[in-house]
Amino acid sequence: MLEVSHLTVGYGSKPVLKDVSFRLADGEILAVIGPNGAGKSTLVRALSGILPPQCGSIRYNGRDLCSLSVQERARMIAVVPQARNLPAGFTAWQVVSLGRTPYLNWFGQLSPADEELVREAMRRTDTAHLAERLVGELSGGEMQRLLLARALVQATPVMLLDEPTTHLDLQYQIGLLNRVVEVVRQPISGNGNGKPHSPAALVVLHDLNLVARYADRVLLMVDGCVRSCGTVSDVLRPAMLSEAFGVPLEVMRSPNGKYPLVVPLMA
Amino acid sequence: MKRHGVLLVFVLLLTLVLGACAQPATPAATPTASPIVMTDGLGRTVTLAAPAQRVISLAPSNTEILYAVGAGSQVVGRDNFSNYPPEALELPGLGDFMGFSIEQIVALNPDLVLLAEIHPPELVKSLEDAGLTVFYLKNPLTMEEMYPMLITVGELTGHKAEAETLVTQLSVRVAAIQQKLANIEERPTVFYEIDGTDPSKPWTTGNGTFIDTLLEMAKAENVGRAMGSQYGQMSIEALLEADPDFILLGDANFGVTPEQVAARPGWGELTAVKEGRVLPFNDDLASRPGPRLVDGLEELARILHAVPVP
Amino acid sequence: MKGRIVHPFWIALVALLAALLLSVLVGSVSLSLMDMARVVAARLSGTEIGGDLRVADTILFSLRLPRTALVALTGSALAVCGTSYQGLFRNPLADPYLIGVASGAGLGAVIALSLRWRYDALGLLAVPLASFSGAVLTVLMVVMLARVGRSLPVTNLLLAGVAVNSFTGAMTSFLLLRSTGELRRAIAWLMGGSAMGGWQPVLAVLPYWLIGLGILMTMGHALNVMQFGDEQAQQLGLPVEATRWVIIAVSSLATAAAVSFTGIIGFVGLIVPHLLRLLTGGDYRRLLPLSLLGGAAFLLVADVLARVVMTPQELPVGIITALAGAPFFIWILRRSRTLPYWS
Repeated sequence: MLEVSHLTVGYGSKPVLKDVSFRLADGEILAVIGPNGAGKSTLVRALSGILPPQCGSIRYNGRDLCSLSVQERARMIAVVPQARNLPAGFTAWQVVSLGRTPYLNWFGQLSPADEELVREAMRRTDTAHLAERLVGELSGGEMQRLLLARALVQATPVMLLDEPTTHLDLQYQIGLLNRVVEVVRQPISGNGNGKPHSPAALVVLHDLNLVARYADRVLLMVDGCVRSCGTVSDVLRPAMLSEAFGVPLEVMRSPNGKYPLVVPLMA
Repeated sequence: MKRHGVLLVFVLLLTLVLGACAQPATPAATPTASPIVMTDGLGRTVTLAAPAQRVISLAPSNTEILYAVGAGSQVVGRDNFSNYPPEALELPGLGDFMGFSIEQIVALNPDLVLLAEIHPPELVKSLEDAGLTVFYLKNPLTMEEMYPMLITVGELTGHKAEAETLVTQLSVRVAAIQQKLANIEERPTVFYEIDGTDPSKPWTTGNGTFIDTLLEMAKAENVGRAMGSQYGQMSIEALLEADPDFILLGDANFGVTPEQVAARPGWGELTAVKEGRVLPFNDDLASRPGPRLVDGLEELARILHAVPVP
Repeated sequence: MKGRIVHPFWIALVALLAALLLSVLVGSVSLSLMDMARVVAARLSGTEIGGDLRVADTILFSLRLPRTALVALTGSALAVCGTSYQGLFRNPLADPYLIGVASGAGLGAVIALSLRWRYDALGLLAVPLASFSGAVLTVLMVVMLARVGRSLPVTNLLLAGVAVNSFTGAMTSFLLLRSTGELRRAIAWLMGGSAMGGWQPVLAVLPYWLIGLGILMTMGHALNVMQFGDEQAQQLGLPVEATRWVIIAVSSLATAAAVSFTGIIGFVGLIVPHLLRLLTGGDYRRLLPLSLLGGAAFLLVADVLARVVMTPQELPVGIITALAGAPFFIWILRRSRTLPYWS
């Protein structure tokens, strides 16, 4: 269980996250939504230790993450960034294997167990066939899956995905999120230092209909504050969304009745 | 942080010095019966078991001195710029200021390498490290400083008597010139051009060089003295203001002609240009500290005061 | 994967051995192999070296071997530091001189050259000492200007480096213009043509080389991780700031020590990493040891050329590396559009 309480983070003296509190259980997918500038990416950067909190705490199972070293923290939280500006001269295998960095010594020599883990992660993300290819030759969707695989081999209990679908075509968006769901539901084995368990996943998403389809719970942020946090039907309500995004929105049911659908209304 | 930085640099320097000093100095040459022991221009004590019979000269001035004191037949190598006397050109050239081939110097098996002030101390060190005997001649600034250098080279090569005769001859010639110039009151102003590649600010010489000494001895005013440094670039504006009586082209050896000078922008206004007193001058007679400096003095006296060359 | 690591390594090793041999065998005086063998045999057995072999002995052991050693150390240091900086700054234009080593060393050397020194141990070391301290002080200045608290942002470093480089470069030019007789010597030094021979420079550079390159050799994995940018590197568990400080410190020291005796040799730290990257890809665990071998081999060959192209005159080796470097650099720029090693 990841517990974030009263987290305040800022660049300089200006706070960007204000008193953010929420919980994220193992095996759960939490979608973070909100308009641009709401602090979603800042939340990812704060949780992963790039930005130090001005006050508040980040704990996993009671353990304070902010007191950990960079290496220890990277064993707790993995990040899937947007696949941009990746070093083009690396092979896909090299990119994924770098996920083992927090467990390796200075020379970065992989053990057979590490290599097995890399292979499994690449199988799970459907990238095994790309292993020897150079990153510069891959498509956006393939690169994004590589970064998911890299996060998988980090074998962390918490995984943060920062707008992983932003630059992808629709079929790749769905493909990627399907993988994320699979990973969370059927955790990877073989970290070697504990029984497999389901990671908690925090996903920053723009597309509210994908949120409705994939998220277990939703965190709506506005202006650095948590506006609402709860189940999909709790948060995806027309009044709250219209206010948060500043445009009139209507929420309907999908034809099969399973998921809410968010559509903008003409003014 | 700053203090730490300085301390750090100091410690690092210390290790570099210790590292560099780790090797013991090369052992001194074994003494012999009646060696020649002399102190060179770097304050080094140089010992020769006997007069040098295989000499390498790495400066044009040194080559000229060696031939002038009668040691020409003992010279086995030269630098690429040594072109006087013409027979020196038959010797193997061993490089120039850009770099000498120490290997070829070693291979010539010299018993003396004669250096001059144009050479860096690192060259002295490298040649010493290669087991060679090195003598370094400092640049003289007056005739009186130049004469003992000739004697020294004579002693090193076993031609002391000839060197003494040479010095006597040279000083007689200098005295003759000085006597002819003794009554001259009006001192012409002279601009001595070393390099006019940039005609808006040509290189010239101030005081502290032998060119300046020669101009002084030839009863001339060196306008370059206004710069206050040995060498420097004088702007054409300052030159127009000084408006020298004569312009001597020390770069004539590199093909600069009075016609070119007259064509330079702004230079046509100079009195020396208008009245045809822009004259080529053989810079070797002024910039190579050797016996031909006296030729240079005679040449200046001829140009500036129409004193006939003897 | 393993097999691919071994392959280029052996090529580079053979290239280095060939270059070492070439550097010892070739000079402006041609020694017969027989004479060299006899000298080496005499040295090994400790017997007196006869009169006819004395010249060969001096040329081999007092001139060529120490020079070969110094050139090899310098070439490898420049190439390894260049590789490290290209990785650290994630910039294909980075070389070991990026943040002030060369301009600082040049300024220090020109200051020392403008003064008159006695001919003694200290006087002879004045130029290397001044260039070394100039280099270290300049890098310290760049780092102090660039740092924000304990962190050292790359962009700040680059900008501070540009500013400080042009400042120290202008000071050097000013001193050169004011200089009297030392201009040629200073220019030769700035072109990488230092005349100092013997074993002392080798011994002085060796500790910095061992420590600096020893540490940098372990940085391959860290540099790989850093190719994803500071933020991802930290999220992958790399202490980015500490790594950056260490790489900058040891690279600067190794480069400063190397150039303090040889003068500023350009382009080695730029060319060799790019060449190797074209040959073997972007893995820094491979690039670093290959740079060590390849840098030494490259500079040795350049030095042999510097000794023979205008024999008996020796050219500053920096002229050779730059003459080879400029066209090469243009070629790299044109090639890099089709090769995906830099995004």
